[in-house]
Amino acid sequence: MKPLYTVAFLLFLSLCALTGHGQQPDKLVTGDFVRVPFEQFASQLEAQTASRIYFDPAVVDSLLVTLQVQQQPLRSVLQQALQNTALRFAIDADNHVFITKGTAIDTGLMPGFFQQATSDNTMATRPDEEQTTTQAEGRSRYVSAAEYKVYELGTGGADGGKVTLAGHIRDQKSGEPVIGATIYSESPSIGTSTDQFGYYSLTLPTGRYDLKVRGLGIKNTKRQVILRGNAKLEIEVEEDITPLKEVVIEAEKDKNVSGMQMGLDKLDIKTMRQVPTAFGETDILRVVLTLPGVKSVGESSTGLNVRGGATDQNLILFNDATIYNPAHLFGFFSAFNPDILQTVELYKSAIPAKYGGRLSSVLEITTREGNKKKFSGSGGIGPLTSRLTLEGPIVKDRSAFIISGRSSYSDWLLRRLNNSSFRNSSAAFYDVTAHISHKIDDKNSVYATGYLSTDRFRLASDTTYRYLNQTASLKWRHNFNNQFYGVLTGAYSHYGYDITSEQNEVNASRLQYAINQTSVRADFSYFPNSRHTIDFGVSSQLYHIAPGSLTPLGAESLITPDVLQKEQAVESALYFSDRIDINQRLSVSLGLRYSLFNALGPSDVYRYASNDSRTENSIIDTVRYASGKVLATYHGPEYRVSARYSLTDNSSVKASYNRTRQYIHQLSNTASVSPTDIWKLSDYNIRPQVGDQYSIGYYRNLKSNTIEASVETYYKTLYDFVDYKSGATLILNHHIETDIVNARGKAYGVEVLVKKLTGKINGWVSYTYSRSLVQVNAGTPSDQINGGNYYPSNFDKPHDFTLIGNYRFSRRFSSSLNFTYSTGRPITLPLAKYYVGNSMRVYYSDRNAYRVPDYLRADLALNIEGSHKVKKLAHSSWTIGVYNLTGRRNPYSIYFKSENGQIKGYKLSIFGQPIPTVTYNFKF
Amino acid sequence: MIRFLSLPLRLALLCCGALLLLLPGCIDPYMPDGLSGPPNYLVVDGFLNSQGVTSIKLSRTYAIDARTAPPVEGRATVAIEQEAGPRIPLQEAPAGTYTSTSLVLNPARKYRLHILTQDGKQYASSYVAVKNTPPIDSVTWKTSADGLDIQVNTHDETNNTQYYRWDYDETWEIIPLLTPLLEYVNNTFRPITTPYPRICWGNQNSTAIDLAKTTNLSRDIISKHSLRSYPATSERLRHTYSILVRQYAQTQDEYRYWEMLKKNTENIGTLFDPLPSQITGNVRCLTDESELAMGYIGAYSVQQKRIFIRRAQLPNDWRVSTGYDICIPPDTVKYEDVRGTFNYKLNIPLYEIPGKGYLATGLDCVDCRLRGTSVKPSFWP
Repeated sequence: MKPLYTVAFLLFLSLCALTGHGQQPDKLVTGDFVRVPFEQFASQLEAQTASRIYFDPAVVDSLLVTLQVQQQPLRSVLQQALQNTALRFAIDADNHVFITKGTAIDTGLMPGFFQQATSDNTMATRPDEEQTTTQAEGRSRYVSAAEYKVYELGTGGADGGKVTLAGHIRDQKSGEPVIGATIYSESPSIGTSTDQFGYYSLTLPTGRYDLKVRGLGIKNTKRQVILRGNAKLEIEVEEDITPLKEVVIEAEKDKNVSGMQMGLDKLDIKTMRQVPTAFGETDILRVVLTLPGVKSVGESSTGLNVRGGATDQNLILFNDATIYNPAHLFGFFSAFNPDILQTVELYKSAIPAKYGGRLSSVLEITTREGNKKKFSGSGGIGPLTSRLTLEGPIVKDRSAFIISGRSSYSDWLLRRLNNSSFRNSSAAFYDVTAHISHKIDDKNSVYATGYLSTDRFRLASDTTYRYLNQTASLKWRHNFNNQFYGVLTGAYSHYGYDITSEQNEVNASRLQYAINQTSVRADFSYFPNSRHTIDFGVSSQLYHIAPGSLTPLGAESLITPDVLQKEQAVESALYFSDRIDINQRLSVSLGLRYSLFNALGPSDVYRYASNDSRTENSIIDTVRYASGKVLATYHGPEYRVSARYSLTDNSSVKASYNRTRQYIHQLSNTASVSPTDIWKLSDYNIRPQVGDQYSIGYYRNLKSNTIEASVETYYKTLYDFVDYKSGATLILNHHIETDIVNARGKAYGVEVLVKKLTGKINGWVSYTYSRSLVQVNAGTPSDQINGGNYYPSNFDKPHDFTLIGNYRFSRRFSSSLNFTYSTGRPITLPLAKYYVGNSMRVYYSDRNAYRVPDYLRADLALNIEGSHKVKKLAHSSWTIGVYNLTGRRNPYSIYFKSENGQIKGYKLSIFGQPIPTVTYNFKF
Repeated sequence: MIRFLSLPLRLALLCCGALLLLLPGCIDPYMPDGLSGPPNYLVVDGFLNSQGVTSIKLSRTYAIDARTAPPVEGRATVAIEQEAGPRIPLQEAPAGTYTSTSLVLNPARKYRLHILTQDGKQYASSYVAVKNTPPIDSVTWKTSADGLDIQVNTHDETNNTQYYRWDYDETWEIIPLLTPLLEYVNNTFRPITTPYPRICWGNQNSTAIDLAKTTNLSRDIISKHSLRSYPATSERLRHTYSILVRQYAQTQDEYRYWEMLKKNTENIGTLFDPLPSQITGNVRCLTDESELAMGYIGAYSVQQKRIFIRRAQLPNDWRVSTGYDICIPPDTVKYEDVRGTFNYKLNIPLYEIPGKGYLATGLDCVDCRLRGTSVKPSFWP
């Protein structure tokens, strides 16, 4: 279709320019056509009416016209001839007829189009007004109308001078911003992408442009503009309504090669929906785990290990608030309700200067803004959980709310079981997210988000685990002008757990932990001209940690209270980054972040003898710091540099270097993330972690951007991250520094990714070879691990292969296959036992010297959509899936128990056989 | 520290049973390939007694799932070697245990243990300095609402010891509550011919590793170091209880060895399991570097002290268990059931209740030799 459009359009333009505007009287048509080929039919019409008919012969080649007409106008003849076909026609003022498939072209001109040459003081046209007037003609027509309109924008710009075009890209139906959509001109090659508000700002020389718009979950579109001065252009785009189409990939079409960013994986909710999961519920963290370079230690662990980094080295932001435990039920579910999510972005390298505080990655999760035009809802019913989302406008087109909840009913299932220990067990969780956005005026908008997720489970009756994430964020965005805007964000995060043991009233106790984080940040973006994009800002966050307390429960309890002293700290940062497009082929981004950390009193700090291993017995002094006194300060620069060089139109090379610093550490002595993990701030005795990453990648798009291939390789060094001494105890330890050591790490790897972008079969294949090694050789020999040599980290899984494939049978049926293979993770094994000192002892291997069996899993899902009628009351879909199709018992954990003097090994597999699921989803 | 059932077990319960509606077989026995041929390393247990008899036990590491006692290493040639000095051979008796005559090692010299195994491999511990263990000042005990706490006190005027290790032997009296007057032999009752012992002595060696150091103190004093504690209800405190505490001076290196060994092997199966680590000791194979050996051989003297604690010394209101609570009250066996019951030798008749039958109990309730020895220890008062 495209060539025809272009041909027709050019003709149309040239004709417009050549001919006058007079309206000629309609000539009438008479004829008797029986199975006449369309081409012949057209030439007869041309002969009778002196009009010209333009069409693409390929489109009409099988069309035979059977028609009898007497003295009828051309318009009515064409209507009759084409009424049962997909063809549409349009007739312009000069009797040119354009036959097109699907959508009629708009032959009208924008008012003022011809004034271009004559008048210099035209006011900027309000394109949105234009759009609303055409909207009545139907959705599909509307978009193409906007596409074929030429917008003349701005005034007063000097000829060839640089002007700025800015605005928002929004979803036409709901009014929600489209995040991460690209808007670009192909010649000259200038482009940008929308930020989290759907805002873009493009600086171009005055002139005429075809601006193309591509984005996640939206249909590709374009706008033609004649830019004469600084102007605004609000763009509304159509949602890609077939949820099964692989939109993400399409969205990244040009970005893979032309985008600046490397090591960025972007997923939208529609892609995530396609990946089969164990309980039928879309799970963002599960999907993130299929991306190259992302691993986890076990099947149901949502602890991410990004490029050889530890699980605590990922900054998880949920609408700008930090999430400390992103999992429900020990990691069976991620703590984010899929219905409210818009996009998930994972930065693995080239982390923007805006972000800091974690070494390995940033996982940014953004919720939807809610439908600004009408009230709607959606939900789902799955085997273990159900969820419901409501959204709608508060003030139409200006403010919207969205609220979403999810709850499990596994408690109910447990009670149905015939086993008393299960009946005494309980496992329940829920989460609620609410978001409100309000546009105060053209320059000011505010956004507020609240989030609550909580888990409670009791296993075989005596111990109850409870944990809770609470976050709130408030954001105010102010546009100073087209080229400059700022965002002020305040956020609060709380995470806490609570374990109560009531097995025996004498020992009944409660173990608690809590972390509170309050942060304020101001971020500014400035687009001075087409070569520079400048971001700068400042942030500060205050931490309060109650690192642990054990308190008696009930009057009978003999437990003596044990409370660790609280920790406080302030982490602040300043950043500046400039993205410079040096020429068509080369762009660089230079960023610097400077972070400062102050650990604060009140606190009693132990000082240790410097020449001895830190133990309780090497404490030489205790220093008391008053409230608010700084007990330790750490600071340093964080460099963020990246560059892109385009080799050809569809291939490029990108390189980046970044340094990151981290002042908060997760302490976990179980291999996987568990709710009893605690977060510890850097202090006098515990240094911050520092990481450097160098990466380089080659990106190439094949077959006219339908296949995207990339190879990225990286080398990482990590300093002073936390590892544990042999025999470390982490819970309720008053001198945790005696049990942890500062480790060095190195990680390197190659990630190969091939994505098939469109078509009935689509998906991605990735292979990663990577190593992640740790070395602990500081301190005394007894502190060293494995003799001070490098050893594999807990998540060192060298080979990793993932296939996500989708096959679309029709618009309503599609299937997905997920296949994952990886090397088993390292494990320390007891090799033998022996008797020394009257007791049995166990001889262990070197730390992580062995591996659990390889991991292999295949999942299959079938999605069945209801009919696609637009005017249905509710849209529904079914997802039927089988998780772990082969039933392979992949080990989750290998553990050893001493039973009657024998030490026995056991392999625990969580999903020991194929697990079928059915989920019903609805939307109204 | 509170203890929770181990996390993997709980997870298993949860996922196998509940979430997935009783899908079978989430937990499979698993022996990793690395364990199919367990290493057969030499294990050396003991120390060089600088003022007395040295006793060294040699054994081998063996499969973790074995049920047997550790394989002993017999017919080895074992000797104490003084650095650039004489060699003192040890004699084997019984198999795997090698003993010296009573020796006095020169505190100015260094010593090691040399082993030539039957298969021709030579092992030696590193040369260690001789440490002189200061005497135990006292072994004391105190009671509180929680129970009994036994403590050790010692000091070294010369400030040379600093690192201490202890172990102990416990002995206690066992007196059954029930005494049979009859016995059932050849399907008839008769007055008992050989009465069961009235009293036995239970005995246990410490299995825990007990350590302390004074490096952070200005003087080398151990005060009230808690060695052993019992709840107020413990049956061992029912009659007379005795503990023999042995004290060993350690070098810093040996102290660290025991500290690691303690952390490594004394906590298994809790949610808060510490990470295990590989530790061997100071014994090396001289002929084959890849061959490891377990154990640490230090050279020091032993100091010991025994105390007795009698029931009368403990608070009156302590409800000390008899240890035979389950034996009370005895069962009554009707006349018609006598044959079936008492032909089974673990059921013991006590006496007749005329017209009803015989009172009976289990063998464990009357024979204290199942819980200890009836031979009075030589040190028992």
